[in-house]
Amino acid sequence: MALEPIAIAEAPSAALRVGSEAPADPGFEVQLPVFSGPLAVLLHLIESRQLDVLTVPLAELADAYVVHLASNPVDPGQLAEFVAVAAQLILLKSRSLLPGEVVPAMAEPTDEPDEEELRRRLLEYRALRDVARALGELDLAAPMQRREPRESDRPAASVAPLPAALLAEVMRALAATPEPEAAAPEIMAREITIGMQIAVLRAALAAGGRVVLQQLLATCHSRAEATVTLLAALELVRRRQVRVQQRQLFGPIVLEAMA
Amino acid sequence: MSTADDLRVFYEAILFIAERPLTSVELAELAAVPQVDAETALANLAQELANDRRGLRLQRMDDTWQLATAPEVGERLAAYAARQEGRLTPAALEALAVIAYRQPCTRGEVDRMRGVDSDYVLRSLLHRRLVVEVGRRDTPGRPILYGTTFTFLERFGLTSLDDLPPIEEVAAPTLPAAAEPEPVDAG
Repeated sequence: MALEPIAIAEAPSAALRVGSEAPADPGFEVQLPVFSGPLAVLLHLIESRQLDVLTVPLAELADAYVVHLASNPVDPGQLAEFVAVAAQLILLKSRSLLPGEVVPAMAEPTDEPDEEELRRRLLEYRALRDVARALGELDLAAPMQRREPRESDRPAASVAPLPAALLAEVMRALAATPEPEAAAPEIMAREITIGMQIAVLRAALAAGGRVVLQQLLATCHSRAEATVTLLAALELVRRRQVRVQQRQLFGPIVLEAMA
Repeated sequence: MSTADDLRVFYEAILFIAERPLTSVELAELAAVPQVDAETALANLAQELANDRRGLRLQRMDDTWQLATAPEVGERLAAYAARQEGRLTPAALEALAVIAYRQPCTRGEVDRMRGVDSDYVLRSLLHRRLVVEVGRRDTPGRPILYGTTFTFLERFGLTSLDDLPPIEEVAAPTLPAAAEPEPVDAG
């Protein structure tokens, strides 16, 4: 049931595509030839004019080549080679334009390109292009597969068997090793809070109603504990829970619980 | 391993389990036979596999051998092997062709024949393991020499380099290229 509306919905859209005369045939696409180098371009120019590579005066192709170069963007990385061939062609053309000049036979070889050299490279390239095309026909057409190495194919690091006695030896060596000493017990800082010492003070006050502070401080184990005890006494004074009396300088400090 | 038949059977089996291509020398040593006998047995095995239209073929590169599947079933095997690679570009094919036909050869030779810098395509061929460095030429700059691989043979369904399509040797008579000085290969 659900299929029907989909089928209906699709039909008009297809009709629309045909009616609007957009790209008529999806199978038709313009394929610009891709040239993989300047020789490829030159060869294309010759062959598209149905000329013979062996006889065509290459100088005549200079203009066509330059026009092609101007109208077809070239990968900047490869531009130098394209320009080099263009320069070569233009040089050949300029020579052919000079009337009546006899091109002197070059006694010594120079870097100056001549037509024969370029023609030879073209012929060489044509052979290469043709064989590359033939190879392209074979590419992946009928591939052969080989068995890939498996994990188990990897050679073990050591092929010689280890003597079993080695295990016993290792065990003996392990047994001879002394047990590690037990770690020293961890030292924890003793924490004394004002709250704790307030409780101590209250306990002392509950017994007799008054306490001499110096006596209490004498029972303290550390300077920190004494300090916190003093702070606890001051806290109780602040809360008005004890009264403090000292009759003379450096005399006994008496804490007295307030009612 | 006394008879030739035994040797052929042994080589088929050992190349089946081998995790890498084996050389004639190795194969001769494994069977304790002279190298000549080993190569004869291998050639017979290759012949037999091809003639009887078996599922495997023997591939040879120089004096190295490996078993591979028959090219006629390659396409159907590709799904299992899950090797879905794109076709090579015309530029890559050109560079590959120079190396395949002229190997061992330098990048300079590839550049010269194509008339264009081939650094990038050569790198992609190396990356695909279609070509490999096989040494260095004893000329100034000691340029790297490249050659094709078993992967190349497999991809193009060739049992050896002898199966390469014939090349038009038009350039051969007018070829002073060999005498030209080798450009220094920076790579």
